[in-house]
Amino acid sequence: MYRTAAKRLLGTGLTTTRLLRLPKPRPTLIIPYSSHTSESPISNQSLNPNQSNPTAASPPSTAREEEGHRRDESMRKPRAEFQEEQARVLAASLRHVARLGWTEEAMIAGSRDVGVSPSIVGSFSRKEAALVEYFMDECLQLLIDRVDSGLDLQNLIPSERVSKLVRIRLEMQIPYMSKWPQALSIQAHPVNVPTSFKQRAMLVDEIWHSVGDGASDLDWYVKRTVLGGVYSTTEIYMLTDDSPEYRDTWAFLDDRVKDAFDMKKSIQEAKYFAQDIGAGVGKSFQGLMNGVMQTMSRRGGSSAF
Amino acid sequence: MTLRLLSSRRRLVRRVLSYTSSLASLHSHATSFGFQQVKEEEKSKLVGNVFTNVASSYDIMNDVMSGGLHRLWKERLVGKLSPFVGMKHLDVAGGTGDVAFRIYDAVNSVQRRALRKVDEASIEETQIYVFDINPNMLNVGKQRAAERGLRDNKSLVWVEGDAEALSFDDSSMDGYTIAFGIRNVTHIEKALAEAYRVLKRGGRFLCLELSHVDIPVFKELYDLYSFQVIPNLGELIAGDRDSYQYLVESVRRFPPQERFATMIGDAGFEKVEYENLVGGVVAIHSAIKL
Repeated sequence: MYRTAAKRLLGTGLTTTRLLRLPKPRPTLIIPYSSHTSESPISNQSLNPNQSNPTAASPPSTAREEEGHRRDESMRKPRAEFQEEQARVLAASLRHVARLGWTEEAMIAGSRDVGVSPSIVGSFSRKEAALVEYFMDECLQLLIDRVDSGLDLQNLIPSERVSKLVRIRLEMQIPYMSKWPQALSIQAHPVNVPTSFKQRAMLVDEIWHSVGDGASDLDWYVKRTVLGGVYSTTEIYMLTDDSPEYRDTWAFLDDRVKDAFDMKKSIQEAKYFAQDIGAGVGKSFQGLMNGVMQTMSRRGGSSAF
Repeated sequence: MTLRLLSSRRRLVRRVLSYTSSLASLHSHATSFGFQQVKEEEKSKLVGNVFTNVASSYDIMNDVMSGGLHRLWKERLVGKLSPFVGMKHLDVAGGTGDVAFRIYDAVNSVQRRALRKVDEASIEETQIYVFDINPNMLNVGKQRAAERGLRDNKSLVWVEGDAEALSFDDSSMDGYTIAFGIRNVTHIEKALAEAYRVLKRGGRFLCLELSHVDIPVFKELYDLYSFQVIPNLGELIAGDRDSYQYLVESVRRFPPQERFATMIGDAGFEKVEYENLVGGVVAIHSAIKL
């Protein structure tokens, strides 16, 4: 249920549409794009009837209405091609991030690597944000792949599962740690906030999902908000952590997750307490009303006579 | 005096018309020159006359007509292009260098230069080709380059030629811009095909052009302004009413945004998009070659 909601939220996101429909684990980060799409775009479509969704959602600015059906078909494909090309360029750009940061320069270098004119960078929406968002998408995909490929979670208690998943996800950022503050500032830019917020929501959602939480009650929001907080604070803690192998960060993470689970317990207790009080109040209220009704009926009865 | 000037210009146009039509072959197709129908062979000549007439006062007229807005539009165009160091760029119909100088400045801005050290060795010289069919316009541009101290700059290359038959190799350009020019080309399709040919994979096509306004009241005001005010301004400032009459008429003749976008798509470009500025007075079409 929540996945469909997330899908609607994310619209035609680059990888998100893909990951929602392709639960099959894929082994590596960059290769799937080219091999997957160039080999069998048709079988891919037949696998997923929804696949045409993102491609059909072409920009409203291009003239499509006047076009016949046949033309429509032929124009739909190139649209997907552009996204592929963009993904290829961005994947190559990631190699330059450690040196050049999350910048246009990195993307220019990346496009040179894949033999495309760096001019293409100008056509990415929101420039640097495209790169950060691509990275976030890829990391989420990678996390899902790790979970699907049989990550050993069954022997762990829920709080350990959560902290393990958060750790796996944060470890993916280690190679970019020196430039990660820049990525955060790009994500925090008002123009980019909607997307970065959605991506974080998706991530937190995926973690809860992987932990095996399928509940859809009011807790849903609480859980996701709390985990979002834990994730973000750990992410920021990590920026200034210079302990070997980020040991301090992981200790910090474990503590925060434990806190969160304790809080969950206290919330549960508070809820039971509230229920009890509610029951008590309800009972006394009922008693009061009964008394009132009785007097009323007695009086009513007397006045009728 | 102005009247005489006017009538002499009219006569000139008529003379050109009659001269060429007498020579024109039976198979030639009609095309539009403003609201007039003329033979295809004549259009480029007539357009040539227009720009020969106005070359010297072209930029000041742009300022007056658009209230200086054309500078913002061109900034926006270059912003969309996001030029980079080592770029090979072709600016068609850019004789006076307005767009080219902006691209040059963007590439050489302090920020970019700071980042240049990164890949110094692997990056070639930036080259901006200013391309125009009209030598008078190019001369104005060269003069302005000299004023900016860019007379012998290797980055700026001035080339005279026809947008329908570019003198550049296939896949040799990173960017192609045409600002207020494609309207004057006889065969828009041919110009687009040429743009597609010379661009590299990933290269971008950007077109800034006066376009169509659809907002009800604003449209009436805009029409009033274009047909009543602009020709008079042209007469007053450039001493040439007919050329500016042609300008406003040719804008009305130009395909509307959607149709032009389709034409770009038909030329093979992808990710065709456009953005209306000032409610469609101008539109920036952008596309990419993949």
